This record gives sequence, structure tokens and C-alpha cells, in this order.
Amino acid sequence: MICTGCALLCDDVIIINDSGNLKVRNACRRGAKLIANYKNLRADATINGKKVNYEEAIERVKEIINNSESLAIYGMDTISIEAQKLAIELAERKEAYIDDNSTFCLGDFVEMILKKEIPSTTLDEVRDYAYVIFYWGTNPFHTLSRHMSKFTYYPRGKRRQRGYEEDRFLVVVDVRRSHTAKLAKKNAKFFEVRDDLELIQAFIDALDGKPPKIFANDVFRVIKEMEKSDFNVIFGGLGLRYGLKGKYDKFLEMIRKMNERTKVYFIPLGCHPNMRGFNELLYGITGYVNKYSFKDKESKEDFAFYNLLFEEKIDTALIIGTDPLNSLPFEYAKKLAKINVIVIDPRENFTTKIADVVLPSAITGIECGGKMKRIDGVEITLEPMIEAEIDDVSIIKSILNLIMEGI
Amino acid sequence: MPLQFSKYLKIEVEVVVARNSFQAEAVDKGKMSKKFVEKSAVVFMNEDFARRNGFKEGDIVRLSRRGRSINVKVFICETSPRDGVMMPNSIYSSYLADFDNFKRFRAYIELSDGDVTKPDEIIDQIKNKNKK
Repeated sequence: MICTGCALLCDDVIIINDSGNLKVRNACRRGAKLIANYKNLRADATINGKKVNYEEAIERVKEIINNSESLAIYGMDTISIEAQKLAIELAERKEAYIDDNSTFCLGDFVEMILKKEIPSTTLDEVRDYAYVIFYWGTNPFHTLSRHMSKFTYYPRGKRRQRGYEEDRFLVVVDVRRSHTAKLAKKNAKFFEVRDDLELIQAFIDALDGKPPKIFANDVFRVIKEMEKSDFNVIFGGLGLRYGLKGKYDKFLEMIRKMNERTKVYFIPLGCHPNMRGFNELLYGITGYVNKYSFKDKESKEDFAFYNLLFEEKIDTALIIGTDPLNSLPFEYAKKLAKINVIVIDPRENFTTKIADVVLPSAITGIECGGKMKRIDGVEITLEPMIEAEIDDVSIIKSILNLIMEGI
Repeated sequence: MPLQFSKYLKIEVEVVVARNSFQAEAVDKGKMSKKFVEKSAVVFMNEDFARRNGFKEGDIVRLSRRGRSINVKVFICETSPRDGVMMPNSIYSSYLADFDNFKRFRAYIELSDGDVTKPDEIIDQIKNKNKK
């Protein structure tokens, strides 16, 4: 079975269904707990915090959305591509805004990959061919716990038969000695940085034949290691994204210069199981990966969900499979309480506490199937472990049908 | 009881926000659960930093930034930054962060006599300040 605990979508998880109690084999801590505890803290259908039946809740959703003059649909990174498609259709019908977590996560990198501004590859190719493996501003030990064992540092691959002992070179860049950085011992280098841009400049200088201002010996050594192979990869996380302070051009310049010497690919390491799926789907429909307005037919920073909240540009938010009260800075999150909030989620979370309406859904990959895109853009088909009566597809379809009656 | 000088100290530190799989695991017990609070309302610091600044494991500290503050528990962890502290992603770190300083921000830290802040206290602030 496929585990939807994170964006790796591991395909070797074994599930034993003991009368609805799921026992899990092969999954990591995160995935195993998600699956084994799937019955915990399930959301109820509610209106203003009071339990109602599903039909009443969906009728209230219809009223709110039909009366909305400025709707934003937000989240969708944990639901199937099929459900995402319907949410995008709903946004189009209502001329609404649509956005996901990638706007403040790694969406910019995904857009660069889709626009072919940065070379990327698949995890399977990394396993088979990659020699120098960078983890830059990311700690897969905690975020994607099986990343290193399934695809990068530890496994044997077609041209990497001797694994990490001899056939991999690990580079970790972080502001602290993370658990991943602690693995950087033999055939490895840990760069403890204060400023990511300084290290990027050091690589650029070294590649230009100038002495780098910091880490001079280590930067030259890493470049030398990279030149030993025709397949190297950089995995970048939020530490890199925010460390760049918006200066993506410097990072792209470094990658370009590295690729003049050897072959280097880049894969952004997000955590949500289907963030990549949402980005690719919206890109295919609109030419943009996130923060899109169907009314204005463009994407811009002003249309990021958090900016719409902050500037009080929306009267209603339909939040699907995410918890902005947990993830958005307080100054933005607090604005949610001023507007109508509809939450579609399998579980209670902080945002359900302030929602006008909650529609309980199914956990994708456990109680409903569909398709998702792995972190590297590879499409994965999910089969449900247990069938639920109501899922994101059926809920959004119902909303669409009801909205159509009102148009 | 020996006099604890650090009780009167308020120092500015860099806070690094990072995901933590133990905390992610606790999400499945529910975000209002004791387990989630135990794994989220925490600040990790390395042993040397804690010793230098008079903190020890289990202390309750107040983290303050831009007029907002929360009480969290100290944990000693060797993967923490050399000269700062680390927090897991959660409503607690989001309460203090902004998008200019989303994964790394500066905050004041001091020992506190109070209890660990509950998620409800933050949610109540959101509700009360903005009630329609």
C-alpha cells in the first residue's frame, strides 16, 4: 500500500486490516502513526461549533458560498488530484482565489522546475546514479524519514553498488547540526552556515576560479567530488528557501555554473503528500503553480491566501485539508476569525475550532483512493485501505452541484 | 534553595523553527491533546547554551516577540543551534513568527513561574479579538 504520511508516498507499506484496526509494517514513525491512529479525533459535521447532520452542514455551505462576493479556496495539499481538480473547477465557477501551502513553502522552486529554469530528476534516478547528495536547509531525518534509506544516501543503485560506504558523498548545509548533519562523517561535509547566500557566493567564486571568502578548502573539495560523477543532486528545503531571502537568481547562477562543470539536479523537499500534485495541476490549467485569481486570471503575491486575509480582501475561506491556524503567522491567522470559514477535513484541528461550518472528510490513501504526485513529480495511484462513504471528491462535487443551482 | 540569578535575566536569542517527527506523531493524538502540547510547546537548546544562560531541562520559559509571549518547556537537545534555540513548527512558533522571519527569528527568553501556554489560549485570542 501507499503511505500518505508525507510527500515520499512510500509504496512498500504493508497493512494488516484487523476488523477496521490497521496494523502497519515498514512505515516510518510519522506514517505508521497516521495510519494506525486514523480513527482518532475525527471531525464532526458542525455549524458554529454545534453538531449537525451532513446535509444541514452542506446546505449551510451552499448558502455561505452563494452569498460570498469574494471567496478563496485554500489548502488541498493532502487530498487527491481528482479532488484538487474539482476544487479548481469550483474556484473557476465562482471566479475565486485559489492557493495552497506552497506559496510560503517550496512552490517557487516547483515553478522553476516546471518552467525548465532548473534541472530536476526523479528519486529513482537519484538512487541509481547520484554521487554527491546535498541536503540544503532541510532535515529529512524528521521531515521525510525514509528519504535517505529509500532513495539517496544508503541504498545501492544501478551505478551505485557500494552505497554510502564508498559510492555516495553527503553534503549537509544547515544553521545547526541537525540529525541529518550528524550523519555527515565519512565521505561527507557539513557546512554550518549563518547566511546561505554567503555559501552560495563561495561556490560561485570557486567555480569562477576565485578564492571563496568562507569555507575555501571545503568548497573546492566538494566541487572536486562533484566532478567525479555526471550525476549529483541538491535537495532544498525551507531553510534554503528562506535563507535565499528572495534572491533565487544567485541560487540559479550557482546551479548553472555547477552544470558547466558536471551534472547537478535539484529537487525541492516539501512535506505535504500532494503539494506537488496541486502545483502541477494548477500550472497545467492556468500557467501558475499557486496564488491564482480566476477573476483576474493571473497569479501574484497579493493573491497569496495570507495576503488576502491580511488585506481583508475575502469574505469567505474554503479550507480543505490544512490547518492555517497552526501554520500561518498569528497576524495573518487571526484575520480568519473575521470572515466565514468552511473547513473540509477528516480531523479536528485548530481551524475547525473557529470554523462556521465543518464538513468531515476521509483520509486520502487510507479511506479513499485517487492519484497524488510524489515530491519529484512522479504520479502515484492510491488504493484505499478502508472505504469511506464520504470523501473530498464527493463533498466538493456536492458543493459544485449546489452552487450550480444558485448560479 | 539556592538563589537562581538567571531568574532575573531576559536575553535575546535566535529561534530556529524546524519540523520534528515526534511532534508530527503527536498530531495523530489530536492537536488539543496533552501529547501534542508536550511536543509542541517546547524550546530545544544545547547543553552548553543552557548552562551559559542558566536554563535546565524542564524549566518553563517565556518567549516574547513583538508584544506577544508564550510559555514553553525547555528540553536539552544536541541538535539545537550553537547560539540559540529551536522550536518545532506549530501554533506556538507561528504565534511568534512572521513571513519576514518565518523559520528564524529573534525573541526574548526568560524563566517563567507560569504554566505552559495551552493552544486554547492562543485560539481564544484569535476569537476574542476578532469576533464578528
